[in-house]
Amino acid sequence: MNADYQYLVAKIQGALAEDPRVNMLDIKIMVIQNRVHIMGEVLSEERRAAAGAVVSAVAPGIEVRNELRILDVSSPAEPEVIID
Amino acid sequence: MIRVAAVGDVHFSDTPDKKLGEYWSRLHEQADLFLLAGDLTTHGGLDQARALASQLESVQVPVLAVLGNHDYHSDQSDRICRLMEEAGVTMLEGSSAILAVNGETIGIAGTSGFGGGFAGACGSAFGERAMKAFIHHTERLAFGLEKSLTEMKTDFRVALLHYSPIKDTIAGERLEIYPFLGSYLLAEAIDRAGADLVIHGHAHHGQEKGVTARGIPVRNVAFPMLHRPYAVYDLERNPAAIAISSESDLVRA
Repeated sequence: MNADYQYLVAKIQGALAEDPRVNMLDIKIMVIQNRVHIMGEVLSEERRAAAGAVVSAVAPGIEVRNELRILDVSSPAEPEVIID
Repeated sequence: MIRVAAVGDVHFSDTPDKKLGEYWSRLHEQADLFLLAGDLTTHGGLDQARALASQLESVQVPVLAVLGNHDYHSDQSDRICRLMEEAGVTMLEGSSAILAVNGETIGIAGTSGFGGGFAGACGSAFGERAMKAFIHHTERLAFGLEKSLTEMKTDFRVALLHYSPIKDTIAGERLEIYPFLGSYLLAEAIDRAGADLVIHGHAHHGQEKGVTARGIPVRNVAFPMLHRPYAVYDLERNPAAIAISSESDLVRA
């Protein structure tokens, strides 16, 4: 990764953490050629869209590939027995 | 037996989460109490706390919680705690609560905890004021946790945290951020005081299960990792320990 890309990744990471519509610290960011890929899981479609918008604002003129998925919730599992 | 349900990192926005709410409304079928391991909100907004409080109205067992780093972001942690308390949630920070369930007692000692890293690769209270303040903050919280655990004389004792006390349950996260995910000082305090179970969140990409150096079970219940509305842990007394305890009672009598 060249220096400009490194700084861009850090800038996007900061924006995703600090923007009140997102506030996520664990979105994976990759810059390949002139594209930014954002990956991981978010809790809602609203947050997914907001993350894409935040990245577009921070990196104007760069294509954003929003590969975030909505977190899938399954039923509660069987209890685990813990013996004192 | 006491059944403990737990989840962390639900990161509520301004609107209730209907799907979680549906599961939580039936939680009493599986558990006697419900623990929330911090990061209740997205960024510590009062509307977010209200949305969670409203969702918790349907939960029919006692709810106890600690705050996480996201809940502190807007500098309104006191108001969030008040709001949650008004909704019937017991908020813990350097404090504990004792519940009686089916003739047995359980004590929950809670703190958010903080970072610093793990033995062999951790920060020290050395150098700049900011660095010393960082480590001293974790030391203070660990001390409070140890005190709360030590003072509880209950059948079961649980430590409820947001940050992790051990590395096992954050494995899967990037090594570079380990010092921001927890501190061995928390585990050391728990091992000195003793506990039956440790619950934490914060590590979205970690593992559910681990143990402290002295073998106390640690469970990471971060919602984005669990992919479940909560986990349930059934705490049971060891039959051998009960037999020894009864014998001692007879001797004393």
